[in-house]
Amino acid sequence: MRDPLPQRLGESRYFWGLSRERLAVAGGLLAAAAAVLLLAPIEAFASAPQDAANPAYREFPVVGSRVIMWVTAELHLMFAAFVLAVPMFAVIIEIIGYVSGDKRYDALAYEFTKLLSVSFSFTASLGAMLTFLLVVLYPALTDYLMSIFSWTFFPYVALFFLEAIFLYSYYYGWGKFNPKTHIFLGIMLNLVGTGIMFIADAWLTFMNTPAGISETGELVSLSAAFMNPMWMPINIHRIIANIAFGGSVAAAYAAFQFLGAKTDEERAHYDWMGYIGNFIAIAALLPLPFAGYWLGKEIYAFSQSLGITLMGGTFSWLFIIQAILIGNLFLAANYYLWVSMERIEGAERFRPYIKYLLIVIAGCFLVWATPHSLVASVEEARKMGGAHHPVLGVLGVMSAKNTAVNILILTTFLSFLLYRRGNKAPTVSWAKAGNIAQIAIFVSVVVFVTFLGVYGYFVEASVRIGLSVPQVLSVIFCMIAVTTIDVFMYRNARVTGKIKWGQMSARSQYALFFIALTFAWTMGLMGYVRAGMRQHWHVYGVLEDTSVDAFTPTLGYASNVVSITVLIFFVFIAIVFWLAGLSGKKAWEPAVKAGGEPGEEGAE
Amino acid sequence: MKNAVKIFGFAILVTAFYSYVGQTVPQKITYPPESATLGADMSSAELAEAGETIISGKGTCLGCHTIGSGADPSSLRFPDLGGIGAAAATRVEGQDAVTYLAKALYEPNDFIAEGFLPGMPTINRPPIGLNDDEIKAVIAYLQTLGGEPTVTLVTDLGYTTEVSAAPTPGATAAVGSGLDGPGVFQTYLCGTCHNIDAAGALAGPSLYDVGSRLSNAEIYEAIMDPDATIADGFAGGVMPATLGATGFYTKISSEELRALVNYLSAQTGG
Amino acid sequence: MNVLVILAIIAVMVALRFLKPTIVVWAIAWWFAVFAMANYGIDPPVPTSVTNMFMAIVTIALLAYVTAAEGRMREAGESLVAFFTSKKYFIPLVIMLVAVPLLVAFNVYSSMTTQPAPPAAGRTIHPPPPATVSFKGRTVDLNNDVNPYRHLEDDDSEAFAQHVDNGRRVYYENCVYCHGDNMAGDGHFAHGFNPIPANFQDPTTIAMLQEGYLFWRIAKGGPGLPVESTPWASAMPAWELFLSEEEIWDVILFLYDFTDQRPRAREVHE
Repeated sequence: MRDPLPQRLGESRYFWGLSRERLAVAGGLLAAAAAVLLLAPIEAFASAPQDAANPAYREFPVVGSRVIMWVTAELHLMFAAFVLAVPMFAVIIEIIGYVSGDKRYDALAYEFTKLLSVSFSFTASLGAMLTFLLVVLYPALTDYLMSIFSWTFFPYVALFFLEAIFLYSYYYGWGKFNPKTHIFLGIMLNLVGTGIMFIADAWLTFMNTPAGISETGELVSLSAAFMNPMWMPINIHRIIANIAFGGSVAAAYAAFQFLGAKTDEERAHYDWMGYIGNFIAIAALLPLPFAGYWLGKEIYAFSQSLGITLMGGTFSWLFIIQAILIGNLFLAANYYLWVSMERIEGAERFRPYIKYLLIVIAGCFLVWATPHSLVASVEEARKMGGAHHPVLGVLGVMSAKNTAVNILILTTFLSFLLYRRGNKAPTVSWAKAGNIAQIAIFVSVVVFVTFLGVYGYFVEASVRIGLSVPQVLSVIFCMIAVTTIDVFMYRNARVTGKIKWGQMSARSQYALFFIALTFAWTMGLMGYVRAGMRQHWHVYGVLEDTSVDAFTPTLGYASNVVSITVLIFFVFIAIVFWLAGLSGKKAWEPAVKAGGEPGEEGAE
Repeated sequence: MKNAVKIFGFAILVTAFYSYVGQTVPQKITYPPESATLGADMSSAELAEAGETIISGKGTCLGCHTIGSGADPSSLRFPDLGGIGAAAATRVEGQDAVTYLAKALYEPNDFIAEGFLPGMPTINRPPIGLNDDEIKAVIAYLQTLGGEPTVTLVTDLGYTTEVSAAPTPGATAAVGSGLDGPGVFQTYLCGTCHNIDAAGALAGPSLYDVGSRLSNAEIYEAIMDPDATIADGFAGGVMPATLGATGFYTKISSEELRALVNYLSAQTGG
Repeated sequence: MNVLVILAIIAVMVALRFLKPTIVVWAIAWWFAVFAMANYGIDPPVPTSVTNMFMAIVTIALLAYVTAAEGRMREAGESLVAFFTSKKYFIPLVIMLVAVPLLVAFNVYSSMTTQPAPPAAGRTIHPPPPATVSFKGRTVDLNNDVNPYRHLEDDDSEAFAQHVDNGRRVYYENCVYCHGDNMAGDGHFAHGFNPIPANFQDPTTIAMLQEGYLFWRIAKGGPGLPVESTPWASAMPAWELFLSEEEIWDVILFLYDFTDQRPRAREVHE
């Protein structure tokens, strides 16, 4: 199946286009797709290339090939992220439940898992659709990717079977196995899922940073093509982001159930579930910027042009939008914690601090969202003496933004700390000293991070980039050290008040929806830039995009596509929630009392 | 249900807000660099688009042919191409449109449309010298004139231009190779467009009586700067392009030029 | 920074504290304080596009603050209801009902009557360079080629000083008119340009870039900017027409030497 390709490639390497599209993404993923490919079609495709009527592109009606590809790939990605992430924390929660013996955790893990099986099918269906679209709309690109990656499809399919086996045995086997066996199944499920993602990631990162090929694009080394420069950074970035995204969607599910709950018991349960989901999302969000910087650095190292396109050129404004999204996430996450303190007796004493936390968050948010080169009218630009504002320009560069992000992270961590202490008073003798130590750590880390940020203005760029490492390390050190002290300090703490689970305002639940929507939107936007930075290439520098969609659209256009994708995703996920809720419903009974039907709960 | 509607409304609000944020940043479209290359993966429609450019550019077809001029055919010197996509299939029995068009470009004087004189140069040879891919693009475009394009770059037309084959004499005339007047006329393919021994015009005016119409200086100017004066009823720009494509302007020596002018001024008709 | 304005804002906010206003008044006061700060407290004024974004963020943050606690929420709701219903607030209410539409009208009026100006546009300050550029027929690889004289800095400081000196000559013969005596982008002609010439003393210009990038910008100038950095009106000439390759590398050495900056190091890919 491989022989016709190099030949074709040699003839036509200058022409093959490549769409900026998410094809890449596409490339991958697909599950069912892979199954389809596995059977007959590969043979057919391989022999097809010499065929006369074999266009490189076909047009999708109405919306065009690019948009349908884009939306499908993103939807697939979102579902895949959810399906990969939920088992990770489901297993962790299950382990917590097993170790602590608290039945609530086990039930919670099961509830998360319930969302999986339908989502799994959706993921596979979307994957199949994606593969079909790729094959139908972008046959030349598909051919080329197959010439590189054909042998990786087989382990992919094999893993997919394993994924299905582990997923369903994990789900249906709940409570039917020895807990240790069951946890083992869950861990295997995660390993297999991660393996699937790693393979699919190779396909798409290859399109960004191709490696292991000759000048003319023929495969030289599959392992080099597989482990191309962007592969591992994307793997790590995705794992973390998937958890954040999965947690936020699970929290949205809880919020949805909370708002519809009829009993205090249900409300308490879903309030708690939303809290846990959100906690997972935010905990995973904190290291995400660092993984992102690593990814950016690898891209820059691969090609200066690609790096500048991403960070300084066409897409620099996209990162301002991203800053607004992430700023909103932090703000909403803190907001949720603050509102949550309302349900903790005794947490009132921390309320006065909220405004200071808010000021810090808003301040960091402002710094982070300040663009490097400003949009200014000619008159304004004259007053500033250029596109750089003498004062704000200082805030527009990496040093300031890194510092802002680190402080945002610390502030959020502090909010959580206060929340945790809401209803507790330490009983250990060294409580006062412990508190002082914690404050000292906080203050010194903030000072250190700020110092490095300011210092960054006085050193050359390569050193400045290096400064983000000690910044990150000090923040991580602060979180670990403070948490450790806190854990010991609040061991056997006196409980001064109850946590009234379920006594939450609807506002807080909408904050959870807001977080989930913002996560999804961020994911859509970042997916776009990952694919979009290739500009008019399918495979950067190797296969050019010659389709009508080879141009890079405006950010406004991309935003609209992302918005629509996010809405479709939430409609789909609503269907998943509804299906997952069915199993808990009472069996249908033929005789219905008048007025007793569901759906009328609003009447009273 | 009420909740679901509310939440969905909220979702629309939030996404609309982010869409709005997306509209507030600078909006810029980045186009890929222009490339004249024809891709093997181009569809027929894309090929036709490229063909349109070739027809009015490198192919110089529109110097002679018109497209949908609506004029009475008998008043035209060369066939109008309007509707050729449909007509091509009916011109010669047993030839489909693509075959016919390919033949018309590779062997233009094999079949002459009724009412016209032979005079079209072979398109894959200098001076026009389109390559096979470009000719396919042209055919795709011609097919769109009254039909649907079916040609792609993988279509086999039955003709192959051998790139390494001995080029035509005209293309290789060395600088100052000492040709006489008729030799220059022949080498640079002047006769393709200009009738030298009869009154009928081809793509350009007949030259059979040029010596009685123009002075030597005017002939000289008409050769070296053809667009300075355009004969009535002919288009400007054609001759500089076609003659230039033969390499005439870079290769002709002053002796040869003088010989050509003398040769032409000796053409006084009769 | 406009110290007087900042002090005034702080004074007003402190004074407000003693009046013990309701939460709603506080939020509004904060909003206006930030607004005044952005518009008048910083000199030169912050561009409108940025103020708008700042105010949007501040609005969200204030909303979050007011609604984050049940008590504040209730207080805010009550004072709003009181404002609209209580007799006590009749006059401020009327003032507000009149003022808000007036403000909107004024805003519309002033935005419609401003002088014609080019649309606000974000210019890409550092467009991505191509991987290679051709320089007088030679190909320069921007990603991998280094300044051929940079190594002299360590190897042969005398030769290096000569190159820097040559760069100095080139700079003062060609660049100083726009980029200025001390390279702050404020030469004699600078005020006539939009965008103004680059300020090399600014740590966000040459210190952030590799030498190959500078070579590209100097050699190709404004005309060589890629499409995506439009709209541009850079008056920078394409110096490849005037300078030799060595002169360009030399002037790059001089730029870094004079401003005491180091070029961005090449990322080493492990």
